[in-house]
Amino acid sequence: MKSKDGSSWSPYLAGGLSGLVSIFAVLTADKFLGASTTFVKTAGMIEQLFSPERVSAMDYFIKEVPNIDWQWMFVVGIFIGALLSAVTSKSFQWKAVPDMWADRFGLNVPKRAFVAFIGGAIAMFGARLADG
Amino acid sequence: MNVLIYGLITGIMFGFLLQKGRVLRYDKQIGALRLMDMTIIKFMLTSIIVAMVGVYILKDMGIVKLQIKATVLGAQVIGGLIFGLGWGLLGYCPGTQMGALGEGRWDAVWGILGMLVGAGIFAEFYPTIKSTVLTWGVLGKITLPQVLGINHWPVIVVFVIGSILLFRWFEKKGL
Repeated sequence: MKSKDGSSWSPYLAGGLSGLVSIFAVLTADKFLGASTTFVKTAGMIEQLFSPERVSAMDYFIKEVPNIDWQWMFVVGIFIGALLSAVTSKSFQWKAVPDMWADRFGLNVPKRAFVAFIGGAIAMFGARLADG
Repeated sequence: MNVLIYGLITGIMFGFLLQKGRVLRYDKQIGALRLMDMTIIKFMLTSIIVAMVGVYILKDMGIVKLQIKATVLGAQVIGGLIFGLGWGLLGYCPGTQMGALGEGRWDAVWGILGMLVGAGIFAEFYPTIKSTVLTWGVLGKITLPQVLGINHWPVIVVFVIGSILLFRWFEKKGL
């Protein structure tokens, strides 16, 4: 199950251990893993910089109060954990355009940026609609 | 305060494992959507199995409680379709793009910015959505064992066996 990429672990092993991390989250903080609410809270915090009164009157920001909570720290932790793993295993690589994208659409950075941005906006709208 | 530290520690462990399992990359995520590379499915299903068994044991011992989200068919079917469209364009999901950035795939920045905008747009439309889509097909906080009227363990066993058969098939096909 070893891949040609030497420092990777089997997805079954890494996935299984991540299941234990889920159990750890429930035991220590009574939390189930999630990430999308963090984007709502952060959007709210940014909007608060410009018009705090408007944000405090909006239904969705009354439901999801813009603050830093367990999940917000969890999402920051994902970044740190991936960075640690990548740097210590020499698999960190600056890349502006993914390989599979480049094969099909080329190395044009603005093109990738535009589609990724639109994709992100659509994905988050859908995730929030589904309450996921 | 402790809760925030636990959140950070949980995230660091999770991000570390996501990177080791190589599930953060665009090529892996789009590879799964194109049915070419099932790495992320293997990771996700194994994670679900371990967490499901562990959490239900703890629940049966009375140590933890489940936090069931309400089933609203309109919201989840339409939301799922919209999410899938965006996921296919971006090639990262909300949590994994943070990890993708952590391993240097900085096109994740565009996804993060897009998601902040998408969240803001959703907040603007929330009053309208609340009185329409979120009222379509409300089934409440249901679970599969509850709908079937049986204990949760048979459902878990069938899920685990089904997953193992799927894994065997993936390995045979080299996916």
